[in-house]
Amino acid sequence: MTSRGVCTAICAVVTGMATLSWAQVPGPNNAITDVPGIKVGHFTANQTGTTVVLAGDSNGQGVAGGITQRGGSPGTRETDLLKPENMVQIVNAITLSGGGAYGLAAASGVMRCLEGQGIGFPVGGGNVVPIVPAAVSFDAGQCRVGASRPDLSFGLQACQNAATGPVQQGNVGAGAGAVSGGVRGGIGTASVVLDNGIIVGAIVALNSQGSAFTPEGDLYASALALPNEFDSVLSGKTLKGTKVNLVRTDGILRSGTNAVVATNVQLTKAQAIKIAEMADDGLARALTPTHSPYDSDTVFAVGTGRITMQSLGDPTLVQHQIGSAAANVLARAVMHALVSGESTACHPSYCDTYTKACLKKPKQK
Amino acid sequence: MKTTFACAAVLWALVVAAPSWAQAPGPLNAITDVPGIEVGQYTESVATGGMTGTTVIVSRGGATGGVSQRGGAPGTRETDMLKPEKVVEKVHAVSLSGGSAYGLAAADGVMQCLDAQGLGTPVAPGQRIPFVPAAILFDPGRCAPFTFRPDASFGLRACQAAAGGPVQQGNVGAGAGARSGGAKGGLGTASTVLANGIIVGAIVAVNSGGSTFDAAGNFFAGFLELGDEFDQPAPGALPLEAPPTLLQNTTIAVVATNATLTKAQATKIAQMADDGFARAIRPSHGVGDGDTIFALGTGRDPRDATNLVSQIGAAAADALSRAVVHAILAARSIHVGTCNVTSYCERFPAHCSN
Repeated sequence: MTSRGVCTAICAVVTGMATLSWAQVPGPNNAITDVPGIKVGHFTANQTGTTVVLAGDSNGQGVAGGITQRGGSPGTRETDLLKPENMVQIVNAITLSGGGAYGLAAASGVMRCLEGQGIGFPVGGGNVVPIVPAAVSFDAGQCRVGASRPDLSFGLQACQNAATGPVQQGNVGAGAGAVSGGVRGGIGTASVVLDNGIIVGAIVALNSQGSAFTPEGDLYASALALPNEFDSVLSGKTLKGTKVNLVRTDGILRSGTNAVVATNVQLTKAQAIKIAEMADDGLARALTPTHSPYDSDTVFAVGTGRITMQSLGDPTLVQHQIGSAAANVLARAVMHALVSGESTACHPSYCDTYTKACLKKPKQK
Repeated sequence: MKTTFACAAVLWALVVAAPSWAQAPGPLNAITDVPGIEVGQYTESVATGGMTGTTVIVSRGGATGGVSQRGGAPGTRETDMLKPEKVVEKVHAVSLSGGSAYGLAAADGVMQCLDAQGLGTPVAPGQRIPFVPAAILFDPGRCAPFTFRPDASFGLRACQAAAGGPVQQGNVGAGAGARSGGAKGGLGTASTVLANGIIVGAIVAVNSGGSTFDAAGNFFAGFLELGDEFDQPAPGALPLEAPPTLLQNTTIAVVATNATLTKAQATKIAQMADDGFARAIRPSHGVGDGDTIFALGTGRDPRDATNLVSQIGAAAADALSRAVVHAILAARSIHVGTCNVTSYCERFPAHCSN
């Protein structure tokens, strides 16, 4: 390539970057359901539960999905199917559950629910096989560990509860039995709307070995909060000098943060994988350490196909933009999960631990 | 198979000259020849001729596991945890089922069964998690309502039936509703005992888009016969039926050895075993095949297996090819009303002794 060619190429990239719009505001619900085609349902019982994310295109059909699975203690279903070289190009829902590997049963209930609605991969004769990848984590936050676990009925009911609109956060669904860095974890969600029309949302079941905050209580990902995003929850007061002794429950099979990110852009399976991989950095920014041998950490990505990639410009740059946004949205969802956690007899919430950090304490359970 | 028999004789001579590669089937010629491996199956059928079921391979002491997943339409569970970099080292069972992705539910029942027997990785006082990777094949809607499929109760009953000893083959368990290249598929098993004491077994549910035999009824893997374990095909061919539609495939298998393996070694052995499909089924690993193979090492032979992996992998590939042939030979026709699936032995009666 001539020097002029190099310059042209660089200029093209720089121009491309310059035209990418990075203005970011949350969607109306600041939730993954701000992405058209996404519904969320929880079912909770006995400090455990299931969260289902339904994903459909404008005809209600399945959409492309991808995954990154980097934690060292995964429990998963249908993740081989998500590989780009494999035939089925769609997913209909993602199931997140507590219960450790036992909780994989919940996905069978989601399949039953979707089959009843005729939603799934068509296999002839009007029959469908719903495609429902799933990830589980171990409910380390249960006061009696292993006391209860999701079964098929949890997935069925979570799927039947699925809806658009606001998403309940905190100790519900897959976050019901969660702990994170010695305090309560839980479900968190967030979204962002970019000014070129791209919407990116995330939902996370925060249940990590690592912590989302410094020993003094400052959130690692606080710099990623959008303007005024946590005004109603966090005080913004300095926590310098705060001293807290947290009881940690480290150990094998005891945790894992699983998440789904979604965008309204039409993706291929390979593009969805790349976006899941970039979104995974959101866990790294919000949690220290993360992806440990003891964590299940699994991130799914789906694109609901409301906007074509081509209509947005260079597909590589668009993927870059979606992936970057997804990482930050996921990090914000982790913070929402943390501040929504509620104390139990066995694990304090973040807000009950760092009382100065929060404006009002969530209700004690 | 006379030519094959001659070949086998030549091979046997070679084998005697190279004793470390000497191969003979175990006493049962089944995966249960591997110490620590048990098999349980549960099968249901409907009056219209449809069948489906679940086959569970249990290793009560836990086994190191690996997986090779090369078919294009997989349905799987717990395959991420089998990766060498993941922390859980042992699996307690593998669940193979019909029912397409719905059949993954059978693994729930296997977990219940093992938990009730106190088997699993301890996670808290009195609490354990049995690790049960699973794969499924596509058989729904064949001579039965589409909703006729394995659920958790199939896995529970198959696991409760798990035992050592002979393994039923043919129209049973995960192979009950199977078809293969237009013929009846089924469940098959085989084993090999190497001269150095390593035992390798395989079990397979053959439900392949590709065929296992040519138009004359010669098995592609016929050359891998040990002794006289297959029946002898004779000339005379019938036209094959149209191959099944794209999705109605998937061949799933488990190979097991008494060797002490790491997860990485088990993964390598699963990958080598996968060549057994390539040799026995044409084509294999197609777009509509979910072809998935698990490998288990029960660790009863305490030797460091570093220098044995290639030998075990090669033996596993051959045992798996032979298990495929056993599956097709053991499969039985279904003729119920409009439900007609012709077995290999019905099509080539002279090739089958029973």
